[in-house]
Amino acid sequence: MTDAPSTIAERSAEVLVRSTPTVIARRVRGLSDRAIAWLFITPTIALLLAINIFPLIWAVYLSFTNFRANRPNAEITGVGLRNYQRVLNDPDIWIAMQTTAHFVFWTILLQTVIGFSLAYLIDRKFRGHAFWTTVILIPMMLSPAVVGNFWRFLYQPQIGLFNYIVSYFSGIPPSSFEMLGSVSLAPWAIIIVDTWMWTPYVMLICLAGLRSIPDYIYEAAEVDRASAWRQFWSITVPMALPFIMLAVLFRGIENFKMFDMVMLLTGGGPGSTTEVASITLKREAFESWLTGRSSAFAIILFVAVFGLANIYVKALNKVKQR
Amino acid sequence: MTNHRLTTCPPRQKRPFFIRRGPMENIATVLISAGFLMLFQPFLLVLYTYSLAALLAGTVMFIIVSKFPE
Amino acid sequence: MSSVNAAHSVVEPTPTSKRIAGAIVILYALVTMIPLAWIFLTSIKSPPDSISYPPKIVFSPTLEGYCNLFTTRTRQTPDYIQSLPPPTGTCDEITRSRNMVIAGPSNYWPRFGNSLVIAFGSTFLAVLLGTFAAYGFSRFRVPLADDLLFFILSTRMMPPIAVAIPIYLMYRQFGLSDTALGMILLYTAVNVSLAVWLLKGFIDEIPREYEEAAMIDGYTRLQAFWKVVLPQATTGIAATAIFCLIFAWNEYAFAVLLTSGSAQTAPSFIPTIIGEGGQDWPAVAAGTTIFLMPILVFTIILRKQLLRGITFGAVRK
Repeated sequence: MTDAPSTIAERSAEVLVRSTPTVIARRVRGLSDRAIAWLFITPTIALLLAINIFPLIWAVYLSFTNFRANRPNAEITGVGLRNYQRVLNDPDIWIAMQTTAHFVFWTILLQTVIGFSLAYLIDRKFRGHAFWTTVILIPMMLSPAVVGNFWRFLYQPQIGLFNYIVSYFSGIPPSSFEMLGSVSLAPWAIIIVDTWMWTPYVMLICLAGLRSIPDYIYEAAEVDRASAWRQFWSITVPMALPFIMLAVLFRGIENFKMFDMVMLLTGGGPGSTTEVASITLKREAFESWLTGRSSAFAIILFVAVFGLANIYVKALNKVKQR
Repeated sequence: MTNHRLTTCPPRQKRPFFIRRGPMENIATVLISAGFLMLFQPFLLVLYTYSLAALLAGTVMFIIVSKFPE
Repeated sequence: MSSVNAAHSVVEPTPTSKRIAGAIVILYALVTMIPLAWIFLTSIKSPPDSISYPPKIVFSPTLEGYCNLFTTRTRQTPDYIQSLPPPTGTCDEITRSRNMVIAGPSNYWPRFGNSLVIAFGSTFLAVLLGTFAAYGFSRFRVPLADDLLFFILSTRMMPPIAVAIPIYLMYRQFGLSDTALGMILLYTAVNVSLAVWLLKGFIDEIPREYEEAAMIDGYTRLQAFWKVVLPQATTGIAATAIFCLIFAWNEYAFAVLLTSGSAQTAPSFIPTIIGEGGQDWPAVAAGTTIFLMPILVFTIILRKQLLRGITFGAVRK
């Protein structure tokens, strides 16, 4: 662990060393509070250092080299910032980013609109709303990979249920379109599955937001004779906004990393129309074996997610204060 | 290793803008968001190239200013 | 249902609006259930029924999908099948009617077993470590606590493929690739962040006075933790455990990159199920149905804690 120049790492190690004599001294009569605190926290930190931080530092190191994992015995030479320059000037990776952006934008838009509407309706508290809420929540708990794999069957041009239902309502012959095989439809096939799966997530958080609005605010608005429309836009939406932001940020982070579903539905195809950043990264790292370069790419994605995570925690604290 | 926690100090009047937490955090947030837009936009390769710099700057700034008192 | 009383009549929705809202929500719920219902129906269809056009809703159910999922089969001549002793079970009979004989068990149960071992192993470790760490963060003044907590949370947000590159190299170095132990450690590391955040919330809710009273009665801090805090936190620990279990059960990206053979888990195995001439959809559906069943049960058990789980304990309802 000594080659991990993380300040947190050094500090926690230092404290552990310092508190060790105390541990032994107090063994008989019970441990001091500080010893217990570190004794309880250190295993978790140690595990995270070993499985998360150490590999991350290794990846940072590799991103400055021309290392290739399929040639472990070849000499490793440093290449400076060249890997980063390449990744950040590569038009293909830039296009993968745009594909990712396309997914992130549409899935978040659809999920927020549908999720918020559902939450608003469930908040009417009709009979049996608790039961139906649970039913709606089921898709988000399932494995995206296993369910995504089955959607491939639903999307089959001739025999698939999806095409059948679409043709039943629209009259288009079910074998005339291929959701997964056509360049224009494949992104939407993935967006539909993602929306089906994760709308409940947004709905659940929005519902918590709506329920956090105290009744007296509406009562006061009612006294002031504010119209229902006005109440919706000047009370409901602003009061639920921190919650909506939380859901949007989290879905944003998750969909930025989207991998399972795309891998199983289209594998990035047809061509590279659905090749999102994670798929490109997987190709560079585990098919082309450009480990150094893909490490640089991974670090870029990591920095992006880390930045968003900071904002996410800020949003989390804002919601917590409510 | 003192037991002091790095949390809010009692409010002092008129702390200079650039070492107060709130506004600086907002600037960092904007920087991160800008980095994201640069990463995602389909218009200029140059902006994409410098998105990492913006993201990194924003994130580092966020970590630093979150230590500042309100 | 406490808000439904006369005092709130102003904000209580009218019966008509309730009825309309209910109808829309129920319609949405039914539509989202279609794919899941279809998975189940496909699993009890025969292969020709499963790929018929138009899709069949009325059909005679069969266990062929499950038989095909659990066995590997070889094609034989009718004469050879005639010469065999009478079939010993339903699967034997179904297989023979397709001019095939069972050659042996398939890899499904071993992969399912891997999933069980890895999911339960990593959940146990994550909850164990998480409970201690959460108690530490909840009750003691830890220097840089906020930074450590953020560091713990951020490890869960990392893109799996980005993490997989160095992990792949590290595991290759230490001989952990394609081992259950490697996967357990990896999932523990991912889950421990959720466990710490969730459990900290649950432990924060247990009044400190309980432990202080116990310590005045002569308990040490550790005894108080063991005898007072842990029993109080049981519900929270159980909910956290189920969340960790679901994550480890469902995970695909690490599994597909880091396991290929003996430690492969069910999510990376199910998509590889193929029959003669393409994907054997009833078998895939059967595998999917069995795989999803535990999660359905868990979702119903967890429904009151779901919100807490998905927001890292920030929203408590």
